[in-house]
Amino acid sequence: MLVLLLIIPLLGAVIGAALPNPRFAKTWALIVSLLTLGVAIGLVSQFNFHPKVEAQNTVDSIQLRFGAVPGTAATGSAYTLLPLGVSFALGVDSISLWLVLLTVFLTPLAIAASFDSIKERTKEYYAWMLVLLACMLGVFVARDLLLFYVFFELTLIPMFFIIGLWGGPDRRRAAGKFFLFTFTGSVFTLAAIIYLGIHAGGFFISDVVHYAQTALSGPEHTTVRLLLALGLLAGFAVKVPLFPVHTWLPLAHTEAPTAGSVILAGVLLKLGTYGLLRLAIPIGFVGNTAPILTSLLQLVGLLCVVGIIYGALVAWVQQDIKKLVAYSSVSHLGFCVLGLAALNTIGIQGSVLYMINHGLSTGALFLVIGMIYDRYHTRDINQLSGLAKRMPVLAFFFVLFAMSSIGLPGLNGFTSEFLTILGAFTSHTLGIKYGVFAAIGVILGAVYMLHMVACVIWGPLKTPELDHNDSHGSGHDDGGHAHAVPGDINGREIAILVPLALAIVLLGVMPNAILKTILPAVELVQKPEKMKPTQALVVAD
Amino acid sequence: MTGYFQLLLPELILGTVACVLMLLGCSMKVATRKLVPILALVALIAVFAIQLGRQGSDNTSARTLTDISGTFRIFHFAQYIKLLVAGVGIMLLLLAWPTNAEGTGNSALNVGQETGEFFGLMLLSLCGIFLVAGANDIILLFLGIELASIPTYIMVSISRPNPVAQEAGVKYFFLGAMSAAIMLFGFSYLYGTTGSIKLDQISQLLHPQAAVSGLAASMAETDPAQAVIQPWVLLAVIMLVVGFAFKIAAVPLHVYAGDVYQGAATPVTAFLSFVPKTSGFVALIKILYAVGGPAWALPTQLSKLLWVLAVLTMTFGNVLGLLQTNLKRLLAYSSVAHSGYMLTGIAALSGAYLTAGRDRNDVQTDALAGVIFYLTAYGIMNAAAFGVLMLLPARDGRPGTSAETFEDIAGQGRRHVGLGLCMAVACFSLIGIPLTVGFWGKVFLIKPAFAGGNNWLVIIVMFNAAISAAYYLRIVATMFLRDPVMDAVQPAGDAKFPFPIAAAIGLSVTGTLLLGTVLPVTQVFTSSTHIAARIDDGHESVRFEAK
Repeated sequence: MLVLLLIIPLLGAVIGAALPNPRFAKTWALIVSLLTLGVAIGLVSQFNFHPKVEAQNTVDSIQLRFGAVPGTAATGSAYTLLPLGVSFALGVDSISLWLVLLTVFLTPLAIAASFDSIKERTKEYYAWMLVLLACMLGVFVARDLLLFYVFFELTLIPMFFIIGLWGGPDRRRAAGKFFLFTFTGSVFTLAAIIYLGIHAGGFFISDVVHYAQTALSGPEHTTVRLLLALGLLAGFAVKVPLFPVHTWLPLAHTEAPTAGSVILAGVLLKLGTYGLLRLAIPIGFVGNTAPILTSLLQLVGLLCVVGIIYGALVAWVQQDIKKLVAYSSVSHLGFCVLGLAALNTIGIQGSVLYMINHGLSTGALFLVIGMIYDRYHTRDINQLSGLAKRMPVLAFFFVLFAMSSIGLPGLNGFTSEFLTILGAFTSHTLGIKYGVFAAIGVILGAVYMLHMVACVIWGPLKTPELDHNDSHGSGHDDGGHAHAVPGDINGREIAILVPLALAIVLLGVMPNAILKTILPAVELVQKPEKMKPTQALVVAD
Repeated sequence: MTGYFQLLLPELILGTVACVLMLLGCSMKVATRKLVPILALVALIAVFAIQLGRQGSDNTSARTLTDISGTFRIFHFAQYIKLLVAGVGIMLLLLAWPTNAEGTGNSALNVGQETGEFFGLMLLSLCGIFLVAGANDIILLFLGIELASIPTYIMVSISRPNPVAQEAGVKYFFLGAMSAAIMLFGFSYLYGTTGSIKLDQISQLLHPQAAVSGLAASMAETDPAQAVIQPWVLLAVIMLVVGFAFKIAAVPLHVYAGDVYQGAATPVTAFLSFVPKTSGFVALIKILYAVGGPAWALPTQLSKLLWVLAVLTMTFGNVLGLLQTNLKRLLAYSSVAHSGYMLTGIAALSGAYLTAGRDRNDVQTDALAGVIFYLTAYGIMNAAAFGVLMLLPARDGRPGTSAETFEDIAGQGRRHVGLGLCMAVACFSLIGIPLTVGFWGKVFLIKPAFAGGNNWLVIIVMFNAAISAAYYLRIVATMFLRDPVMDAVQPAGDAKFPFPIAAAIGLSVTGTLLLGTVLPVTQVFTSSTHIAARIDDGHESVRFEAK
C-alpha cells in the first residue's frame, strides 16, 4: 500500500513524459495525483489512530534488506554485503500520515493551478511535478535513515528544474541558490547519518534513535551528541529555513512558478521541520541535559524568535506580494521550530499542527497571488489596488486565507500559533522570554498581512495597464478578447480554492482531529527511549 | 610454459595487438587503417572477458598465482583492477572512435596516418596498468607505471594539430619525467635498505613477526613498535609518494593538470583522467602494503602526510574548479578533487593501524574497498561527462575543437534533451546525489574514515562536496537553464551522433544509474571490492614451473 504512494507518481511521471501529445499531459498529471490522493485516503481508512501500545504505528512496512546485518558478517567468510545495513523500509505513524495527506492534498491543486500558466514544455513540467510528489512522499514514509536522506536530497532535482525552467526572470539564480544552499546543509546531515548508521549497526530510524538514547546517553558522549545535533541541524535548518540561512527562500519562492511556490512553501519546507522532529530532536536533544545541548536548543529558539520578528518586519516592507508571503513563511516557520525546541507536548503538537496549517494557508495564498499575476502580470503592491471591486470572489478567498495566515480564531492558524507560543512559555528550556517575543511576532504578522490585504483588495480600484500585444494571454475565461478586462476567477480556479477554504475552516473549528491523533506519536518523540528497535538487530559491540 | 602463458595472457594480448595495430597503421589504405579501432576493441573485449572469467573463479578459491621468480603475482586485488581497467578502457576506446574528427580535431580519429599509433599506444598504456597491478617486483612496478604513462605523453601531442596540444604534451612529458626520476630514486632507496626488489620479501624483511604468523599477527593487538620503520625506508616511501602524487595529480603536483587536460583532444583528456590516476593509486597501495606489512602498520608521519595530501588535493581541486570558465579545465580540476577524495580513503587506511584499535582490520578493508569502489565509480561516471562534451560543437566553429566553454554548451540541454540528461546524470553523480554511483562512492569513503576516527577528514570531505556542487551544478544549469548563445554555429536539423560515442555515453550513464539504484548490483561490486581489498587472502601460492 505504502509503496503505491511512490510507484504511482513515478510511473505516472514516466508515462507522462512519454506521452505523444503534450496536450494530455496536464490531464494525465491531475489524474495521477488524484490517484495518489485516493491511495492516501485508503491508507487513512486502514490506520489505527488510537494505538494501545506506544510502539510505532505502522500501517504496513515493506522491508527489503540488502546485505547481512553487520554483526553476522564476522562469521561469514566473505564480506558479501553492501557494507551498510541499508533497507527499503516504509512505514507511517500519525505524524507522517498527516503530512502525507497534506502533500497529496496540495499537489493536485498545484497541478490544476498550472493548467493555464504553464504553456511551454508541458510534458516535462508535469513529469517533474509527479517526480517531486514521489520524492516528498518518500521522505515522509521512509523508515530507514539512508532512504530518508535519499528522498530528502532527491527533492532538490525536480524543484531545481521547476524553478529554473518555468520560473520568473531571475530563475537561474534562484534555482542555483536553492540547490546549493540546501545541498550544502544536507551534506553534513549525511555525515551525521552515516556516523549513526555505522555505530548503531543499521539505518532503521527506530534503531538509530534507540542507539542514541542508550549508547549515547551518558555525559561522556555529550560531544558526540553535540556534533550529531549540529550535523542534523545543518541540513534541516537550511531547509526550514531558520533565520541566518533563510536567504535562498524569498528568491526561490518569488521566482518559482505558482505551483512551485505552493509545493515549496506547502510541503518542501516541512521536510526540514519533519527532519528536526523525527531525527534532530530525539537523537540530538532528548535524554541529555548537558548544558551545552540546552544552550544549543536555546540558540535554536533564539534564531526562531529572531526569524519570526525579522521575517515579519521584512515582509512588511515588500513591494512584491509574492515576496511578502515568502518572508511571512520565514516568520511562520520560526513559530513551527520554536514549538519543537520547546520540547514539551504542547509545543510539539502545536508544531505539527503548524506544519499542516502553514502548508494550507500559505499554499492557498500563493495560489491566489498566482491567479492575480495571471491576469495582470504584476505583483507590485503599488500597481494593484481595490481588486475586490472587480474580483469579489477572489477577494473573498484572499481575505479568508490572509486571516488564516494571521491566526484569526476560528480559522486554522490560530490554534497552532497559540499552542507553539504556549509551548515556548511553559518549556523548561526556553521559557517566558521566547514566548513574549514570539507573541510580538503574531502582532507583526497581522500588521503585514493586513497591510497587504488593505492595499491590494480594498481601496480605489487600480490595475496596471495591460500590454495589448501581450501574447502570453491573461485568464482564458475572458473569451479570448485581448482587450478585455480580466474577469473574476473562473470555475476551475474556484474549484481549486474551495477545498483549501474548507480545510482551513474545518481545522479551525476542530483542530482536535489532528491534535488527538498525533498525541501518541508526539509522546514517542519526547520519550524516544520507549522506541523499540524494529528488529532484533545485533547491536555493534 | 603454459603456466606463464596463462598468467600473462591479458598482458600478452594487449601488447601483441598493440604491435599489430601499429603495423596496420603503416598501411596506405584507409580501409586497412579502419580495421585498427575494431581490432583494438576486440582485443579489449577479449581481455575483459578473460578477466571476468578469472574474477568468477577467484572469488571462490582464494589463490595466489605467482610466477617462478616471484616477479608477477595475481591476486584478488590485481584481478579486480584489471577487470576495472579493461571495462573502463572499452568506454574510453569507444569515446576515441574515429568518427568525430571535426569535433575533436584528432587526426587519428579521422583514420589518418596516426590511427595505428594512437590506438596502439592506448592499448600499451592499458597494458601498463595491468603490469602495475600484477607486479611483485619494484622494477616491474616502475616499468609498468612508465608503460602506462609514456604512451599518454605521445597521445596528448598527436591528438590535435594545435600548438596547444604540443605544448601540453611537452609540459606533461617533462614533468612526468621528473616525477619518474624521483620515483626511481625512491625505488633505489627501498632496494638499498632492504636488499630486495620483491615486494613480498620487502614486506617480510620489514615485518618479520607478521610473516611468521601471517594474518594472525595482523589480528593481534596494535603494537606501536611495529609501525616504526627505518628513516631510510621512510625517505624512500616519501619519494615514492611524491612520484605517485604526480600520476594522480595530487596537490602540489597537480599544476600540469589544467594545461594538459585543456590542450589534449577531449577523448584523450578522458583517458588521462582515469588511466594515470589508476596506475598511481594501485602503485601507492602496493607500496604501502609492502612497507606496512599485512597489518598496514604504517608510521604516523606517513599517515599524516597522506592526510594533508588528501585535504590539500580535494580543497585546491574544488576551489580551482570553481574558478574555471573552460569546461575541460574544470573537469581537470574536478579530477584533481576526486583524487583527493580517494586519498581520504588511503589516509584512513594508513592511519587505521594506530588509531582504530581492535577492529582496525575491518576499517582497513573498508577503506581500501572504498578507494577501489570510488575508482570504479569515477571511471564509470566520468566518461559520460567527457562524451557529452565531445558531441557538442564549439561555438566559434574552430576546427578541431569540441565544446569547451560554458557558452558552447549554453542551452544545448534543451536542444538535445537526451545529451543534456546524460550530462545531468554525470554531474549529479560527480556531486554525489543519491541514486547515482557517486553517492555510494562517497558513502563508502566516509564510512571507514568515521570508523577510523578521522571525523575532521569527513567534515572536510563534506565541505568539498558542497563546493564541488557549485560548479557541477553550473554545468547542468548552463545546459538547461540558459538560452543558447546566438552566434553559435549550429548544424541545421538534428545532428547525428556517432554511434560508438553515444554507446560509450550510454554505457557510462547506465552504469552510473544501475550502480546507484539497483542495490543488488551495487552489492556485487562492493563485495568484489571487499574481496579485492583483502590483499593477502590465501597464502597458498600456485607456482608454475618452467619446463
